Amino acid sequence: MAVRVNPKLITELAKYGADDVQNCYHCGNCSATCPFSKEPFVIPRRSMRYLQMGLEKSLRGDLEPWLCYYCGECSEQCPRGAEPGETMMSLRRWLTSRYDFTGLAGLFYRSTRAEIAALVLVALLTAAGLLAYGYIWGGGDLSAFDGGEGRRPFLPASAIHVFDWALGLGFLAVLLVNVARMWHFTMRSRRSPRVSAAAYLKHAVLLPVHFFSQKRWAECKETTPWKMHLGLMLGYVTMLVLVMFFLEPLQHGPGIRWEVHAFGYLATAGLLAGTIYALRGRLRKSRSSHRHSHGTDWVFLGLLLAVVATGVVLHLTHRLGYGTAANVTYLVHMMAVVPWLARYPFTKWSHLVYRPLAMYFAALQSEALTSRVRGQEQPAALARAA
Amino acid sequence: MRVGVYLGQVRGSSVIDLDAVANYARNLADVELVRVLGLRPKLDPHRIRDEIREARLERLVLAGDSPGYFKPAFTNALAAAHGNPEEVRLASFREHGATDRERLERAKSIVACAVLGVPFPLVAEKEARVVNPATLVIGAGIAGIQTALEIADAGRQVYLVERSPTIGGHMAMFDKTFPTLDCAACILTPKMVAVGDHERIELFTNAEVAEVCGGPGAYTVQIRQRARRVDAEACVSCNVCTDICPISVWSEFDCHLTHRKAIYIPFPQAVPNAYMVDPEACTWVTSGGKKCGACLKKCPKDCIHLEEEDRTVDLDVGSIVLATGYELFDARRVERYGYGRLPNVLTSLEFERMTNASGPTGGRIVLKTKKLDKRSKQEDWVIEPSGPAPQSVAIIHCVGSRDANYNPYCSRVCCMYSLKFAHLVREKLPQAACHEFYIDMRAFGKGYEEFMERIKAEGTRVVRGRTAQVTTENGRMVVKGEDILHDRLVEIPVDMVILAVGVVAASGTQELARQLMVPRDEDGWFSELNYNGDPTLTERGGVYVAGMCQGPKDIPDTVAQASAVAAGVLHGIASGRGSGDLSALSLNEIETRARELRASQLASS
Repeated sequence: MAVRVNPKLITELAKYGADDVQNCYHCGNCSATCPFSKEPFVIPRRSMRYLQMGLEKSLRGDLEPWLCYYCGECSEQCPRGAEPGETMMSLRRWLTSRYDFTGLAGLFYRSTRAEIAALVLVALLTAAGLLAYGYIWGGGDLSAFDGGEGRRPFLPASAIHVFDWALGLGFLAVLLVNVARMWHFTMRSRRSPRVSAAAYLKHAVLLPVHFFSQKRWAECKETTPWKMHLGLMLGYVTMLVLVMFFLEPLQHGPGIRWEVHAFGYLATAGLLAGTIYALRGRLRKSRSSHRHSHGTDWVFLGLLLAVVATGVVLHLTHRLGYGTAANVTYLVHMMAVVPWLARYPFTKWSHLVYRPLAMYFAALQSEALTSRVRGQEQPAALARAA
Repeated sequence: MRVGVYLGQVRGSSVIDLDAVANYARNLADVELVRVLGLRPKLDPHRIRDEIREARLERLVLAGDSPGYFKPAFTNALAAAHGNPEEVRLASFREHGATDRERLERAKSIVACAVLGVPFPLVAEKEARVVNPATLVIGAGIAGIQTALEIADAGRQVYLVERSPTIGGHMAMFDKTFPTLDCAACILTPKMVAVGDHERIELFTNAEVAEVCGGPGAYTVQIRQRARRVDAEACVSCNVCTDICPISVWSEFDCHLTHRKAIYIPFPQAVPNAYMVDPEACTWVTSGGKKCGACLKKCPKDCIHLEEEDRTVDLDVGSIVLATGYELFDARRVERYGYGRLPNVLTSLEFERMTNASGPTGGRIVLKTKKLDKRSKQEDWVIEPSGPAPQSVAIIHCVGSRDANYNPYCSRVCCMYSLKFAHLVREKLPQAACHEFYIDMRAFGKGYEEFMERIKAEGTRVVRGRTAQVTTENGRMVVKGEDILHDRLVEIPVDMVILAVGVVAASGTQELARQLMVPRDEDGWFSELNYNGDPTLTERGGVYVAGMCQGPKDIPDTVAQASAVAAGVLHGIASGRGSGDLSALSLNEIETRARELRASQLASS
């Protein structure tokens, strides 16, 4: 069967952040030093090779970039400054854009300007929508919270839920299509081994395990990034659950309802710590994983910080009884939250789903390959040839 | 001729002020257009072509640290504009000695020559001058020995200065040479003896250049002669002093694998064949004559003079030959290979001594074993001829070479000596497995490729892939790497690891370069005048380079270059026209000379 080569793949990938792939002379130092490089996955040199050769299809079906947690060992040791770690990062961006059928992910990764424009547009639309809603249906009352006088808020939690669930479900649908594409590319490619339905079921438990623990990251030499990320991610999921399912008690005030707010505070702490750690690292370029920042990284962190910060201010003004300030902050908070949620299937955000899936798929492939060639001499070589 | 000058840099660390050079270039005759491209510009051949057409340019000068980097775009553009693509001239700052901020004038003169179409080194034309027929050779390794012998055999006086106590350099430490597997000593020792006996070679071992005055054709050099404390003429090398000496220190010649005494001879065939005292180790010297002195009493020839002091010698010479050689890259810097931490990780030179029949184990390849040192009551890893032989040996190529984190250049000899090691391991220990981890096998010389095929056929496992680390598992070393050609990861348990460490310029080259006003390249080697045309000259008149100090090279190339240097020196003496002294020329002089050269070129064509 013919192999299609894309000679411009490297130039294309430069827009996703990988500048130095051509420097690689394939000494294999990176794969030998990578803690995740275990047969049948040779990380990251094989992906570097595919890139240099322009094997777009092979790369598209490649799970290896998702198995890398960017500890940076490979980049530090690389004798050619080819930045294999950053290449894997860029490949994750590129893969996200390949999985995304809408093409928006690719657009945003290639042009940070387009991404910011989209964000501003969504933010303005949100503000306009809220204001219009307030003037038309709320009779000019824009207070988001009841004033404590038993007045009905113009946007009760139930009304917000209509909106956020609709938005959530819509994007979930998009994401599911993308996940299906990822599965198709990686598990149904010519090179990938066939996996039985039973195996899929047997290992399904890996999905929640990797989703909640990211435990493989803990195998890296340095564990601080993993801990910070875990805090950020758990905080994030907690907050998402609170907003999606417990908005009413959360918004009720000004008294504090500890049964929900305790979780809220914990989540905020995790979110703030994780965001500030990442921002500080990227500004100082202290770790090799923070040395290169793609435009979308800054947008991601900046927007996340905006969401968290406005949320904190909102909470403070609301609980302290500054009604007007709270209402204005609410509007601003929504202008950050809606664009943030709207990016879900198109950006870095989506690794929340892709990464655990990749771990799951990798385990399936690994098992299928070892069982297929068990007892034969050169498992890896055979596996690749197959 | 209408010329366009483009200035661009490849590396962010470049130091020459491009704008200053650009301003200079604008005022040159013929220059119609000057563009500062800046750091690693994105070049558009169509735009350059339009520029060429618009300014009707006939010649393009690309100036910068490595301007060749930009050349293809400009060649294409000039061809597209129907110009002569041969007229893209490079003005390489780095290659011609404009290596730091202070050398702006040099950068300007390089551009001036390129604009005129005159190769820069040509400006250093041979000058009529009386050349003192005596020659100083600095460094007495195989390069220095070869040059000294050739010049002296032609009947001219040579002063040979060597920093260590004996001549011979690194080659004296080697067991075999590649690819012929000749005995290194059998080639070198006769030459060493010839140097020692030659009536026209005055040898200064244990000596260094302290100061250089004068200029091309008439240098005055001050040599600092460190005290040997043994009369080399009277000493008969009877070994009585060494037997009685109570002080033991690591032997430099045996790469710290064994001990020597404070009064010693580096190796039995040393030239001059006499003992010497290590003033830092000797109790008598360190105590100011109050303690010990055992050797004084025992010496049957009364030739030990522990009170002897350093002295200086002034020499008048016409030519100076740099043959200072190299040092090994410090393998400790690559921590993941465990050198200095794991006892049986050896450098190539250590293995060379071990496998040498005159070395500490008599040529047996053995593992270091733990042994209690009686005096210090500490356990130490020592090497003994009776030690156990390794069952499995790994040889790791490119340690410190071809690595942006250490030395970006290829050390050129490691691939071949590693193959030689593999042969020696397989020959002496046929039952032992031998694994070579390489990136690319550089078998570039006559017979080298065939040598590699031979070694492979002998049963050495050659793995394409750099080793990432040497770890220990259950007390045994494990080499982790990737076998790229078989697309798999490998973990091989081994008993001994030999690191094919790269070479770096010898310590003290910087100081010598300063004294002699000879530029060094960015890797620390002495810069030759012209890489292709004048590989033995430097831009300092009357100063020549031979061997490794100019750049990594193997023994055949070193000897060839050393002989070429001798020819150059003798030519200078015989013709009364010494090599040109570019380093002394001002910008104005260089411009004038370039114009004259250009005129004579035009006249002759």
